[in-house]
Amino acid sequence: MNVIEVDHVWKRYRRPHQRVNTVKEAVMAFIRGQTGYEEFWALRDISFSVTAGESIGVVGPNGSGKSTLLGLLARVLRPTQGAISVKGRICPLLGLGTGFHPDLSARENVFLNASLLGLSRREILARYDDIVDFAELEDLMEAPLKTFSSGMVVRLGFSIAVSLDPDLLLIDEVLSVGDEHFQHKSFQKLLDFRRDGRTIFVVSHDLDALKALCDRAIWLDRGNMVADTGCEEVVDAYRKAVAEAEQREREAARRQRELADRKPDAAQAEGAR
Amino acid sequence: MTEITELWRYREVMWNLVRRNLKVRYKNSVLGFFWSLLNPLMQIAVWWFVFKVILESTEPNYTATLITGFLPWLFFSQTVLDSTMSVTQEISLVKKAYFPRAILPLSTVLSNLIHLGFAFIVLLALFAIWRVDMNVYWLLVIPSTLLIAVFAYGLSAMLAAWSVFYADVKFIVGNLLGLWFFLTPVLYPLYLVLNKQMQAHNWLLSLVARMLPLIKKAYLADPVTIGILGYRSALLQGGANPIVVPALSGMEPAVRASLQASLRAQYPIATYVIAAAVIAIVVAIAGHAIFVRLSHLFAERG
Repeated sequence: MNVIEVDHVWKRYRRPHQRVNTVKEAVMAFIRGQTGYEEFWALRDISFSVTAGESIGVVGPNGSGKSTLLGLLARVLRPTQGAISVKGRICPLLGLGTGFHPDLSARENVFLNASLLGLSRREILARYDDIVDFAELEDLMEAPLKTFSSGMVVRLGFSIAVSLDPDLLLIDEVLSVGDEHFQHKSFQKLLDFRRDGRTIFVVSHDLDALKALCDRAIWLDRGNMVADTGCEEVVDAYRKAVAEAEQREREAARRQRELADRKPDAAQAEGAR
Repeated sequence: MTEITELWRYREVMWNLVRRNLKVRYKNSVLGFFWSLLNPLMQIAVWWFVFKVILESTEPNYTATLITGFLPWLFFSQTVLDSTMSVTQEISLVKKAYFPRAILPLSTVLSNLIHLGFAFIVLLALFAIWRVDMNVYWLLVIPSTLLIAVFAYGLSAMLAAWSVFYADVKFIVGNLLGLWFFLTPVLYPLYLVLNKQMQAHNWLLSLVARMLPLIKKAYLADPVTIGILGYRSALLQGGANPIVVPALSGMEPAVRASLQASLRAQYPIATYVIAAAVIAIVVAIAGHAIFVRLSHLFAERG
């Protein structure tokens, strides 16, 4: 059964030529006839499907469209062209602790955040103890969130997310949260998810973590799909490509320096003549 | 239709946001709620001083009239101000989670409604002190509040969507609300506007003078004005026609009675109530439609 179906998806962002922030600027731009947009395709003709139980990593440099792809799967963004269908309960971890408010108690924040992730009040009540247990924050749940350290906040956010019992887990760069102990624990939780046959879709720059977690990987570059096969293979190819690009850059820089070093000599020769 | 079922499915989010809005507003303290009332009470005290002491207004029952008008006005203006920022303030939510976006302006309207309910309890305490009798006409407060709430939701949804794209919508809204306040009969009696005659001294005033009949009609059909009049009719006049000429000193009772009768004949209140309701509903539907049309761009433009 296909859990995710992405069919020839294009995503275009429009940036006004001059970023228009105020009505006055909009009026001025209109008078000057600058109503044009700068178009930017974040994703170009992406197609793939995911069957239940697969775990897929997405790699690529900054600005290659990874987060856009995740946003589309989470229904936060809408494709410009093409169609996307996602089945089952999604847990979009595009950031931890969505909707957390510093003045509310940790307990109240759990209810707010979990409802944003799609849980009903009854479901939250049923999971509440597990969430607190996993976050290891038993004694602090009535304290306002602003008294928490940032590590404690992400621990709480992560615990809510994994308690969701999702069919599909979308993760954007939240693999390493909290201290060493909690990082280990949360990664173990993700491995459990995978063993339970749930679908995981994860964007990360932590390539070793991807290798450990995923059996398949997608490589994006400037909105194009470069590869979509086994995780090991894609990660190795991507690493190689990055290393080669670095090599080329160093090469180019060296040549530039040599050219610059030679110039004064040429000038001196010119003067002597 | 699917939109309504979608909203219902996400009602939990809405209630949680409403609860959060109120808790943050009252900052978890008992006194916090009274702080949020102190500001309007101070404002009422200032106007009472200006009108009663400095201008020596002889309007009977002026303080009660002022408060019953100011309460619904404050609900309207605070709702519109809060909701205008409702999407931009929660843009991190919009970028990270899927939910029907209309929940954001709706939850600010709802939390302001609940706040109004609390403020109303304080008003009841005041009325108990003044020994104002309670009667069945007080229930008129409910449709009056609903009228303002529906109208405010329409404006709010529209403004909330626009302020994602234009940062200065909120400043314009603040200024327009300041003007709008004086275009509702909170501070002064309604009859002053309906009975206005103008002499034109310059081109601008002559333009206003020529449009005066239309302006008066628009003034009275404003859902906020009708809502305020509804409050006064309910709480102070036992459900009677709110177009009244107050018994000011220096006005012959016969003159007053005939003026009031002619104004009531000229401005049939039932017609204006229906007009205001139609305006509120049309604005709500249009504002919601604009909001929904633009909502898929919030995550990428905010």
